This record gives sequence, C-alpha cells and structure tokens, in this order.
Amino acid sequence: MKNKNYSFYLGIAIISTLAFIAIFAPWLTHYDPIGQNLMSTLAAPSRHHWLGTDNLGRDVLTRIIYGARIDLSIGILAVLFPFILGTTLGLISGWRGGWFDVILMRIVDTTIAFPFYVLAIALVFVVGAGPKSIILAISLVGWVAYCRIIRAAVLVAKELDYVHAAKLSGLPTSRILRRHVLPNVISQAIVFSMSDIVLSILAIVSLGYLGLGVPIPTAEWGSMIQEGQAYILQQWWIPTIPGVMVVIVGFGLSLIGDGLVKRLNK
Amino acid sequence: MSTPFLSVRNLHVDIETNRGLLKAIRGISLDVNEGQSIGIVGESGSGKSITLKAILGLLPKNARITSGDIFIEGQSLFELSEKARRQLLAEKIGIVFQDAIAALNPVLTVGTQIAEIPHRRMGWSKEKSRDRAVELMTLVGIPEAEKRLKVYPHQLSGGLRQRVAIAIALSGNPRLIFCDEPTTALDVTIQAQVLRLLLDLRYKENTGIVFVTHDLAVVNEICQEVNVMYAGRFVERGNVQDTFQDPTHPYAYSLLKSAPDMDHQVERLFSISGEAPDLTKAFVGCPFAPRCFAVSDLCRSTEPDLLPIRTSLSACHHSQNYLDKLSEAKA
Repeated sequence: MKNKNYSFYLGIAIISTLAFIAIFAPWLTHYDPIGQNLMSTLAAPSRHHWLGTDNLGRDVLTRIIYGARIDLSIGILAVLFPFILGTTLGLISGWRGGWFDVILMRIVDTTIAFPFYVLAIALVFVVGAGPKSIILAISLVGWVAYCRIIRAAVLVAKELDYVHAAKLSGLPTSRILRRHVLPNVISQAIVFSMSDIVLSILAIVSLGYLGLGVPIPTAEWGSMIQEGQAYILQQWWIPTIPGVMVVIVGFGLSLIGDGLVKRLNK
Repeated sequence: MSTPFLSVRNLHVDIETNRGLLKAIRGISLDVNEGQSIGIVGESGSGKSITLKAILGLLPKNARITSGDIFIEGQSLFELSEKARRQLLAEKIGIVFQDAIAALNPVLTVGTQIAEIPHRRMGWSKEKSRDRAVELMTLVGIPEAEKRLKVYPHQLSGGLRQRVAIAIALSGNPRLIFCDEPTTALDVTIQAQVLRLLLDLRYKENTGIVFVTHDLAVVNEICQEVNVMYAGRFVERGNVQDTFQDPTHPYAYSLLKSAPDMDHQVERLFSISGEAPDLTKAFVGCPFAPRCFAVSDLCRSTEPDLLPIRTSLSACHHSQNYLDKLSEAKA
C-alpha cells in the first residue's frame, strides 16, 4: 500500500514557512511594524504596500509578519509549559495512584468543569494583560488535558510485561519512569499538543481581540482584527488577512497532528 | 537436607472481583532447590500465573496475600522492607513472560535493554555491560550478536525476541528463572529451540527453572518435578517420569489422557466434562468431584489433603484404590 503521508509533509512545510517568516521578520520587510505614517492611511494594496496600510498608515504585511512572531512564540510557550507540567503530574499520578492520584484528579475535574475562556479572562484580569499572563492563563487551564492523557496511558503501560520486568530487576523507579514508561506514553500527548497549539493561538487571538492580549500597538493578529473591523466594508483586507493567517496556522498544525497519528500507528 | 533455594509455605491469595472475593490460591507449598527445574501445570484460571506473581510481588492491586510465607535461601520475604524485598528478588530471580512483544520495550534497542541491569543496577561500566550483553546474546543463541545490539525489538522475529527476553532475564545473574508460558506464543519449531536453550542454561549455569504452562509436553521436556494445579491448589506433585507414566490423581490422569499422543491413534481426544469450580463461591469437598470419574460420597463432603503416595504427593481420597485398580488392569 502506498502511504506517503503527504498531509504530514504539507503541514511541516506550512509551519516551517511561517516559522521562517517569523524568525527572519526584520530581513523580510524594511517597514517598522509600529511605525505610523499618517500621510498614507488605509491605502489599498500597491507595489510599496503589498497588503496596503491600516488606519495609522502602518504596513499591514509587516504587521502580519511581526504578528506571526508574537502569536507563534506565545502559542508554543503556552503549550510547552502545560505539556511539561501535565505530563509530569500525569506520570506520577498514574504510576503512584493512591491519595495523590485521587486529589490530583479532583483538581483536574474542577479545572475542566470551568469554561476555558471565563477562566482565562478572569486570570488575565487579575494578573494584567500581556504575553506572560496569557501564557500563565493558558498553562493553568491547559495542563489538565496532558495530565489526563498521560495518566491514562501510564495506567495501561505500568501493567506491561517489560515494565514489570524492569521493576522486578531492581532498577530505580526514576529510571523505569524515564526510560520504560515515558517514551511509550508521550506520543499521544505530542499528537494532542499539535491541536492544542491551534487552540492556544486561537485563545491568544481571541484575548487580543477582546483587548486582553498583548497590549497595543504591538503587532498581533487578534488586535489587528479588532482594530481593523471598523473598516471591513471599505478595506476588507485589513481585518481579514490576520484571520486567514490564523486559519493557515491551524490548518498546518492539524495536518502535522494527523500525520503524526498516522506515523505512530504504523 | 539443606534449605531449599525458594520455599513457599501455605500461601493463600484472594482477589477482589466484582462478583465477590475470589480465593485464587488456597494454600500451596512449594520448594525449589538450587538448579532444580519445576513445572506448574493446570488449566486457565487454576492459579498458575497468580502463584508466580505472588512470589514476585507483582500481584494486581485487587489481589492480596492473606496468609502464608515465602522464603528465599531461608530469608522470609515478608520480614523484609519493600525495598530490600525488591532488591533480593532482583538479584536472585529472573523472569521470562509469555508475550515476547510485550516483554520488550519498543523504544529501546535490544543491546540497551540487555545491558541495562549490569550497567544500572550492578554498576558496571558501559563497555563491560555492552560486552556482557554480547556474551548473553551469544549464550541464548542469537547469531551476529555484535551487529544486533543496535536493533529494535520490532525488527526481530518472535523466536529471537523471546531469546532477547531470556537474555534480559539472565542479565542479572539470577539463580532461578521464572518462565510464565514462554513458549505458548511461539510456533512449534521455535518452541523446541527455546526449550533446548533453557535446558542448556540449566546444565551450563545451574540456573533453576520454575516453568508455568498448560502444555504437558513442554513440562515433560524440561522439568524434573511437576506440580499439577487445580482450583488454586496443587493436586499432584511428583517427578516427571512417574507422574507422566502413572498419575496418582484423577485430574492429572484426565489431563494426560486429553493430550494428543503420537503413538496411539484415537478417533476423538478425551475431554474432561464440566468446568472448574467458581472460586468466588464457597464449596465443600474436593473441587474436582463434579468432574471426576472416581468420585464417592467422601469426595463430596471433605476436601482431600496433599499426601504422599508412592513417589508422589496426591490430593485424592482414592489415589490408593485407583492405583491398585490401574495396576490390576495392567496385570
């Protein structure tokens, strides 16, 4: 059977292109993302401004490119922290069981019971808007998913013969967990993290749109949509393009996620 | 006689199930001497695997040893702390599981897995552990061991995988190997090779073997002593020649009769009618009574103890009678 897993490579291509753009932003455009030019506001796309300018005369393409920096990096960090936290706690919880497991799972249930945005918005309000509080808010809510995934996988893995054998052969618990349990349960969490990045970028953009995200004037897709929505009838591209970018990122990451599932199930 | 290497005394194990308390092991005793090979046979659910797990401390959460004692070289396991017990078991006993796929970690190379115990637990250097891994792989008959160090389990055939599992079990220099149906998942030729390997090891390294299986032919091949298990107890124990020739317990007799025999063509294989008792329910008398061909009223009221008869031990009220009849029939 021919199984080339094209979607996986397409996803990788999309995301690496975006990552490339984000990393090399200063070399790709000579405009300043927050530099205003009130002489040419709301200009239509042209040779000088490929995607036109916004109401303050800032180059939209430049802001999109710099926005990728902010949104992608916060998106990744906001998944990395919950990933590490949730995986560690899930590993211990599944392995040890007992009171630790019971208490942790009740905390997980409680966290899941809250609507995500209500909790995130409340946290951002308390800590104050900005990248740090977004990451904090998403981490505090996001770890529960990893914790559950890993815990469930550990419950299965710890009854496997090779884990029994490792236990029986007198290896230290830390090594059994690190070498024999973790590598065999982590894949599910990695697959989930791909779709989780999409969700966290959506959250960042949504918070930005609500004015709770990265403070303006920093270029960020969510706040660009929010600032641009007033011009949607005349200069529709100003709010639309950042939205399209979110869709593209989500598409690419989903393809990677699906591709990983295929690869790991082979 | 000197202290046996492993000694199990009157062990009871209960399992909490959703149908009630299951008395999985109802008082078994077992001695294994240094270098001895012992077989435990019985049908599914008779308690063979639970016995091994109980000794190794690998019982599932819902199972519990309710009474009895286990000694290794005279040291009671239950007098030790959890840590010391694990340490002692780790040093003295290796285990080979039924499913060689599940017994190997899919993400580590076989070399890493075989060298792991020497390197991590015994504190050997990386090079020395690696050499030991090659030595073990050669010992268990894996060709081109040096090359195969860097191979992952899924790249090996079933037989080679089981050999790797045996090499891992041997890597801690155990004095006794527990084999939990290690040949059941293999085809017959590979099965024979693995059995020969285990026999060789016993001769070369004087490693004791406790072999759990439902395959009588396998026990005949590699064990000196056979223990027949039924409904959580041993019903017959004896040396392999005598027991296979003249079983003293009706269950053992029926079990042997229901195995295919190459020398005698039969139309249909003998099968034991009925099924094993439900151990969650209380019962009186001999657990085999409802299926036994030699059953009497005594059997239905009193459970027989494991008592010596001839060269064996048998838990049957009528062993003597039944043997006499058998020899009469022969004469």
